[in-house]
Amino acid sequence: MSASVHAGRGEEIIRVNDLRILFPTGKRRETVKAVDGVSFSVMRGETLGIIGESGSGKTTIGRALVALVSPTDGEILYDGVSLASLSSRDLRERRRDFQIVFQDPNAALNPRLKILDSVMEPLQIIGGHDKAYYRRCSLEALNRVGLPCEFAERYPHQLSGGQKQRVNIARVLTVRPRVIVCDEVVAALDVSIRGDILNLFADLQSEFGLTYIFITHDLSVVAHISDRVAVTYLGRFMEVGGTDEVTNKPLHPYSEALMSAEPVPLPSYMRKTKRLQLRGEIPSPIDPPSGCRFRTRCPYSQQRCEFEIPKLRELRPGHWVACHLATTDGSPSELPAIFVPTNQPSQ
Amino acid sequence: MHVARACLLNQAPLRIMTTAGGTLLLDVKELSMSFKTSAGWLSVTRDVSFSIKPGERVGLVGESGCGKTVTGLSIMKLLPLDTTCLTGEIWFQGRNLQALPEREMRLVRGRDIGMIFQEPMSALDPVFTVGHQIAEAYTSHFTCSRAEARERALIALESVGIPLPSRRCDEFPHQLSGGMRQRVMIALALICKPKLLIADEPTTALDVTVQAQIIELLCDLSEKSGTALLFVTHDLGVVAETCNRILTMYAGEIIEDGPVDSALATPLHPYTSGLLRSLPRLTERRARLSSIPGRVPPAGLMPSGCRFSPRCNYMAARCEQEQVLTVVADDLLRKVRCHRYDELNLPGAIQ
Repeated sequence: MSASVHAGRGEEIIRVNDLRILFPTGKRRETVKAVDGVSFSVMRGETLGIIGESGSGKTTIGRALVALVSPTDGEILYDGVSLASLSSRDLRERRRDFQIVFQDPNAALNPRLKILDSVMEPLQIIGGHDKAYYRRCSLEALNRVGLPCEFAERYPHQLSGGQKQRVNIARVLTVRPRVIVCDEVVAALDVSIRGDILNLFADLQSEFGLTYIFITHDLSVVAHISDRVAVTYLGRFMEVGGTDEVTNKPLHPYSEALMSAEPVPLPSYMRKTKRLQLRGEIPSPIDPPSGCRFRTRCPYSQQRCEFEIPKLRELRPGHWVACHLATTDGSPSELPAIFVPTNQPSQ
Repeated sequence: MHVARACLLNQAPLRIMTTAGGTLLLDVKELSMSFKTSAGWLSVTRDVSFSIKPGERVGLVGESGCGKTVTGLSIMKLLPLDTTCLTGEIWFQGRNLQALPEREMRLVRGRDIGMIFQEPMSALDPVFTVGHQIAEAYTSHFTCSRAEARERALIALESVGIPLPSRRCDEFPHQLSGGMRQRVMIALALICKPKLLIADEPTTALDVTVQAQIIELLCDLSEKSGTALLFVTHDLGVVAETCNRILTMYAGEIIEDGPVDSALATPLHPYTSGLLRSLPRLTERRARLSSIPGRVPPAGLMPSGCRFSPRCNYMAARCEQEQVLTVVADDLLRKVRCHRYDELNLPGAIQ
């Protein structure tokens, strides 16, 4: 694929080339194809949202970006430097540039460490200063995420879910990262405090010029915070483009189905009545369908979809889609007459 | 003595409940619940009163820790007897379940009231086939041959949209996907054709596309068989797409009760309004999201007066006084527990 694939505007900070991550299943010659040929770039200061159902490989992409799993094939470049080419010592040095915040704020904190000790840990690992400095930096970070000093001496069980997630964010901030991978960071929180945490992420981004990879299954969160969105399905990108374009006028039938499946908290007289329903569930990534991965659930699938893997095509400026049938006019659902659905949803 | 007899008469099995809207299927009256802890009895819910008409779909929403799940469990009387104190009345089809002995309650559970839980994997028994478990739900209430029970299990599996039911019937829960397992749970809950189905976060563990399928299935089945639905969830979007009525719970109390459309468009309680306003979908992209400051007070540390007042932007002096769920003067279908509801003009789901 060409170097400019799925690039936004600005200075490139991350480039992922044809990333493949396979996991062994324990049986010979059988692998889980968690990520199967994904390429993208992330610009400095932007937020890339990655959405998809469970099993679509979005979390694996996030973990690979912070070198927690190593790619089976393909490469991840930070500022043009491949992670795989670094020695373990250099990798450790560079790790402070890219950090990750996990989904479950409880599991991410050691219950036996005081908050301050948890927050100080990354700095101590990097080393180079004395303890008073680590302490000062940590208290500053806690303060920045809205936790007063007295929280530093508490244990995780004394904090609410939202406060724990703030601690996790503070811990990441201490090492002054440039990229933060946010893996379902608000999924475990109550709706009433989600807004606070998302606001905090937005503030930190403008203050520190951070770049975010926002991984979530929640469309409303992605639509709110991201500049660009990538829709994943069975380890591949189905569609990549600007948030407004993808959420308002998706080109891929899968994106369209995802958008329409999202329950809308509006009175019945304001909701669209008909929704495109997807039948069945995501197939196993051990043995994904041939050709287009989505064809088994796609209402418009044709014979061609079975044999030919659709490539990501740039149908509109900056808006890429991997579907044979999508055109510049829209997704296959908008094409009349010629493309009568052949694979009508039925069971 | 006379008082005691009057009480007994009052709980006679053939009490008929009527309101302006017709016969009620479920009528919960002033249900209060306390849990026994090392620090003594802790009040968990207080004066929960609501009713469900036959075939009605009611959503029960609130943050975690508001008492939604325990309210669902208390109707089924699934809470441990020795550590729970339950007062109030649960009238269901003319009987007060609260006063029903356990032996008779067992006949109601599963047959007249079905229940679906959030996590289907832990609700299904891993060592029995799904067909066996569904058939068991039927044979524990009705006498029939094993062949007939299996036949009914197959029909139930088919009605919830499971392909190849005769094959799936002999599979174990771990062989099914999350969505399939939740369909099995629904088949199991509905095989005795209950009048009321309590669904506790049935789609929270599922993907959006599967969630949409399950919601459609529940609405379909409820419409076809006239089963009433009590849908416990934190997701206002799901309630909007599934239910006719919405009950908002906060800190163990029902604070708003009304038709879904009007509650979403013009919420009357600041808490319902706050929940709606904190949804990213309803906010302009990249704009500041609103949130409700603070958190639900833990049981035992409830503020006096209005329990929401410490987090409420509209708090006034009289909010320190107790208040009750009152019927709204100009819309008799709605109830709210707020002193100031008629003077506030709260933002809802529509800008």
